Formats: sequence, C-alpha cells, structure tokens
Amino acid sequence: MSARLEIRDLVVRYPGRREPALDGVALTLGPTDLVGVTGRTGSGKSTLALAAAGLVPRVIRANVSGSVTVDGQDAVHATAAHLAGRVGIVFSAPALQLSASKQTVREELAFGLENLAVPRADMDGRIDAAMARLGIAHLAERDPLTLSGGEQQRVAIASIVVMGTDVLVLDEPAAQLDPAGTESVAAMLAEMARDGRAVLVAEHAPQILLGTRRCLVLDGGRVIADTSPRDALHADRAAGRDLEDMPALGPSIRSVRPVAIAVRDLTHRYPGGIEAVRGVSLSAAPGETVAIVGQNGSGKTTLAKHLNGLLRPDSGQIEIDGHDIADRAVNQLAALVGFVFQNPDDQLFNNSVEKEVGFGPRNLRLDPASVSRLVDGALGMTGLAAHRATNPYDLDVSIRKLVALAGVLAMEPPVLVMDEPTMGQDPLGTRRIGAIVDAWHEVGRTVIAITHDMDFAARHFDRIVVMRGGEIILDGPPASVFAAANTALLSSTGLRPPLGDDVEIDR
Amino acid sequence: MNSRPIGYFKPGDSWLHRRHPVTKLLGLVAIAITAFVLPAWALPVPALGLVVIAFSSRLGLQTLRSLRLPALLFGSILLVNAFFFPGPVERIFSFGPVGLSWAGIIFGVVSAARIAIVFVTSILFLFTTLPDDLLEALVDKGASHRLAFVVLSAIQLVPRLQGRAAAILDAQQARGLAVAGSLATRVRALVPLIGPIVLGSLIDVRERTFALEARGFGARRERTAYRVVTDPPHERWLRLAIVVALVLLLVGIAGGVVR
Repeated sequence: MSARLEIRDLVVRYPGRREPALDGVALTLGPTDLVGVTGRTGSGKSTLALAAAGLVPRVIRANVSGSVTVDGQDAVHATAAHLAGRVGIVFSAPALQLSASKQTVREELAFGLENLAVPRADMDGRIDAAMARLGIAHLAERDPLTLSGGEQQRVAIASIVVMGTDVLVLDEPAAQLDPAGTESVAAMLAEMARDGRAVLVAEHAPQILLGTRRCLVLDGGRVIADTSPRDALHADRAAGRDLEDMPALGPSIRSVRPVAIAVRDLTHRYPGGIEAVRGVSLSAAPGETVAIVGQNGSGKTTLAKHLNGLLRPDSGQIEIDGHDIADRAVNQLAALVGFVFQNPDDQLFNNSVEKEVGFGPRNLRLDPASVSRLVDGALGMTGLAAHRATNPYDLDVSIRKLVALAGVLAMEPPVLVMDEPTMGQDPLGTRRIGAIVDAWHEVGRTVIAITHDMDFAARHFDRIVVMRGGEIILDGPPASVFAAANTALLSSTGLRPPLGDDVEIDR
Repeated sequence: MNSRPIGYFKPGDSWLHRRHPVTKLLGLVAIAITAFVLPAWALPVPALGLVVIAFSSRLGLQTLRSLRLPALLFGSILLVNAFFFPGPVERIFSFGPVGLSWAGIIFGVVSAARIAIVFVTSILFLFTTLPDDLLEALVDKGASHRLAFVVLSAIQLVPRLQGRAAAILDAQQARGLAVAGSLATRVRALVPLIGPIVLGSLIDVRERTFALEARGFGARRERTAYRVVTDPPHERWLRLAIVVALVLLLVGIAGGVVR
C-alpha cells in the first residue's frame, strides 16, 4: 500500500531561533494508520503537525530541509490548491479554525465544502454525518461564537472532518474537551483510520493516545521513541514527575486573610434567552479548594465569571467575605478574587512577561518593592523566571497560560478562580499547577477551578462540584463524588471517574 | 460562553430584510449620491424617506440609538463651519479671525445632514443584510470570491475589534484597573487598551489566516455555495427603478430642473 503521509529527514528552523524546532524527523503513515505524537511543551509536536499539513513554510515562515509528501504531493513546496482536500489539520483552539463569519454551526461546516466545490446537494448529508460523529447535532442551528469553548472545539473538529481528507492531522484536539467528548474524538479517529485514512494526532490525553496504533515521543525536535501507546504515555507522565524548581510559598506580602464565598440561587440568561445557570447555590469555606466539573456548555464558566463580577446575576446573589458584591465594580473585587481566564490571549496585554505579571500588583497601588517581590514570587512558582523579559506572544500557548496565571498569583488574592488551568499543559505543567493549588491551599487561600481533568480535580481539591445543564447535580469530596455508585450520573454530564492508574483519590 | 452579534446584523423579517443584498447595496449608493447632489432645500425628502424606511422595518429606535456614535462628528462639523466659515460673510459676532456666522451655521447643518443621511442609510443596510448573504450575492453577480470576502471581512472588522476590546477591558478590570468613574479615569483606561487592540488585530489576522488555510479557502478557482440567495424578477425591476430614478434626478439637476 502506498504511503499517505511520508516525512523524511525533516529539519525545521524558525527565524531567530538557534535550536531547530524539528531535527531529522522521519515518519510514514499508510492508509488505516493512526499514530500518536507526544512530548513536553516545546518538543516540536505542533511544528510536526503544521509541517505534515503543509503549513510550514507556506504559511509559517521557517527554513525547511528534508521532505514531506502527502498523497504523493510534495507538501513543502505545494500551494494551497495542491493540498486542499488531501490533508486537513485540527488545531487546539477553535479561534484558529472557525471562519467567525457564519450564523449557524451548519453553515460553518459548509464553509470548507464550499471551498472544495462540493455540490450543494451533497453538503447536508456530509454535514449531518460530521455533526453526528462529534455529537453536536443539537447545536446545528446555534451561532458558533455563542457556544462554550469545548462546544466550539467540537465544531472546529467537525469543520475539518466534514472535508473528508485522506490525511488528518490533529494538534491537541482534546485540550478543551470534557472526558466524554475526548472519548468520542478517540472513537472517531479510530473509525476514520479504519475507513482508510491516515491520522496523525499530537496529544497528552490518555484516552486519545491509548487508541493509537503507535506513538512517537518527541524531545528537542527529535523522535526519542517510536513505541506502543502505553509506553509513550508512561514516558509522558514520567516527564511530569521531575518538578525540580518549585519554590515554597513565602509569607503573604499583602497579608491577606482567608475569605468565604457564597452563591445563592444564581440564575443567568444570555441575550437570546439561553439560560446558562439555573438556581445554583454553592459555598466555599475560607481556604477550601473546589473543582467545578461538567460537560462542555454546562454553565461552569458562566458561574465562575459571577464570582468576580464579570457577569451579573439575573437573579440570586453572590457574597464574598460575607458581603453582597452586587454593587461592587470588577476592579474593586480584583483585590479579593483573582480570575484566570480560559483563553490566555483574553488576558495578556503587556509586552514583557515581567510587566504583564506586575500589572495587577501595580493596580493594587502597592509600593515598588512589594510589587517586585510579588512578581518574583509568581514567576518563581510558575517557573517563568527565565522568560521575564520575553514578550508573552513569543511564547508557546501553554506557557502563555502560565503567564496569565502568574499575573493573577502576583496579586495574592484570597480567592483564586481558574477556568481550565491545565488546558494545553503537558504533564509537567499540570503538575506545576497542581503544586500551586496545594501551596495556595496550605496557606489558607480559597481556590476554585473549572476543569475537565478528573485526575487533576481528584488529586488537588477538597471538593468536587458537578454541573449539568446549568445546575449542580453532585457536590462532595472526590472519594464520594467519584464513587462507583455515581458513574451513571457522572456519565450523564460527559464525565468519567479519574483514570486513577497512579492517582490516589483520598488525599 | 460568549455572546456577540455577527457584524451589525439585526435578525428580522421586515420588507427591508427580505430585499436582495445587491438591491440594498444599489439603494445605498443611490441615496448616498442623492444626499450630495440634492440642493439643501430638498434634503428633508431623503431624510423623511429614511425615517419611514427605518420605522417600517421596525428598526427606528435602534437606528436612532446608532446615531450616538457619529454625534460628535456632526457636532464638530457644525461648530467648525459655524465659527470658521471662510470668506466675507456677515458675522453675528467676531473674535479676531474667528466669528459666528449664519452662513457658517447653515453650511454646517447642511453638511452634517448630508453625512447623516449616508450614515443612516449605511446603518440600515448593515442592520438588515447578513454579511454572508451579501458575499454570496456579490459572487453570484460575478464579483471575485476573494474580493467579496475582503469586503465581508472589512464589514466585520469593527465589531470583531469591539469584541476584543471588551475582552481586554474585562481582563484589565479583573486585575484591578479602574475603567469607569470620572472622565480622567476613563481616558486613563483608554491608554492601556490601545496596544493590546493593535496587537489583538494582528492576532486576529493570524487566526483568520490559519482558519482560512485549514478550511481550504481560495484553494480552487471554482466554488459552490451553501446559502442560496434568491433574486426574483421583482428585485431586478426594483434595481432598474432605482437606477432610472437616480439618472432622472441627475439629469434634472444637470438640466437645472431641480435647483
């Protein structure tokens, strides 16, 4: 059988970088091959995905030697016309995928078909099939840009799948997905490979990697192992264990004291009438750590954005430290509640990491010496000290996410709210964020995190709150929420108990 | 979950919503030309016409609200002309080279009115035309698909930047920046917004590039369309009527019938 994707001796150097992003990578995928790629942040996974899809150097400038061949077509020197319909690429962020100009999910999916000149009569059938594969048929008539991050990502994956290319490349497609969504993507990839397609998927999620036939492990742009998924996963997780440079959390500079949070009977409706949160009540004791979990679109982010006043309730109230926050501005609440956005690019706006991290403390009108100690502390915890002078936008998205976190940690808020903090992180990054939650917890600060990573939730949080359809359906310590008796209930909101191979549920 | 409008489009089913995008585009061009060639005394005619169009398509109040945006521009046109009108005109009072004149006030009002007519017409067009329908209609009429997409992107650029500005403002407030309050606070809040918006628009371009590349945009010369924008005969008659009316008006003005 002829190769669908063949990469030979590929070296990619980005302008201004000393080390190559890929250094002598070779890889062959035939029809029905499903191959995983893993490795730490910066190991070259994304570059490999971009090169395999023919976007390097055509769209992203780089020096390339070696060859990439897609269905017999040289992809290094090909034009868009040569590659359209042969290879499709799925990115980890829906913003990189969606046209942002379509009224409905259905029309969004039609966009790629229009560009491939698929006859109008064939479009609806293909769109329906792609939506069914991704479990998004119920979103067909919704406006893509009003969907939750995870729902958008499913639309983004469907938008490429619908094009029906022989080669499919995916770069961390499951980063924003709930466990059920991740499983359905894993099943879909297996099915597409069975149909004769070649699939290359860069991921950390075990559900995806375990479904592949073999896995490449990248390090410093080189393939250091071409092995079974289980061994690759083991190597990936082992790499996350050596968190050598995590400093201990020193005494509070702002001398904050623990505060409680109470949400009473909160309801929030978006314009257009969609009720994202319905009558939710939730409280967190001072210093408690709470993980909010639930399927994509279950109202988690909407709930969290009420905790610092970014959204206001249609009914119900939020109390922080015993006071109703209804008439307090977002910037006044910032000293009490730190909020880390899901998309770091919604949060970064300074031209160096140091300035970015110092932005919050400066707004708190602290003296320069305190600001600089807070910045140093936050950079130390997030392992970013070496990137102090770098422009955040020159960093990988997973590191930008840590910059966004550092910017909030530096304010030492008594309550830390994080929206999908581990999204796009490699095991080392996830472990680091877990250690930060533990350290914050130890000094009596409250942490509330939205997450799809059940292992992370079970390992680092006192309480797990499960949401479905804008309501709380379970609330308790990890051991009871993830108990076998709740499996069916969890599964009704797209969740699975932690994989648990090396996770102790009882802390 | 986000919420944002696509462009300026206001969903609806009024008679104006139902018009073919090219008919509306032609109407927009015709009214814009009319606004600048009509003598001042006749300007209330298109102005009243627009009021009828706006309210009959149930967009009257929204159109009025949208006038807040260019109010500053109209005010400054009026003020500059009222005080700095050149030439030997009779001044109501003078202060050195600056003086208030009736001629200036009238010229200012008329100029602002002409621009307001074009603005309202454009807003009504944007309110009632789905950018996608416009794109398909233009392509159907023979425009290059790439060119039509550029037009579409330009229409959507402003709302997209507004969306980004709102996200950045949220993030800045969440980290303690005061953006409301006194005028000085508001102005101070604008400064840290400029850099990120410029950066944001560059990121936007990068995101668009990736999205369009990944979705095979422009890869082939031929292309099919999912949305079908129908162009029944009465739309063609309406367009012909618009062209004939505009030509008659221009001939009338050139021939001195309309003075």
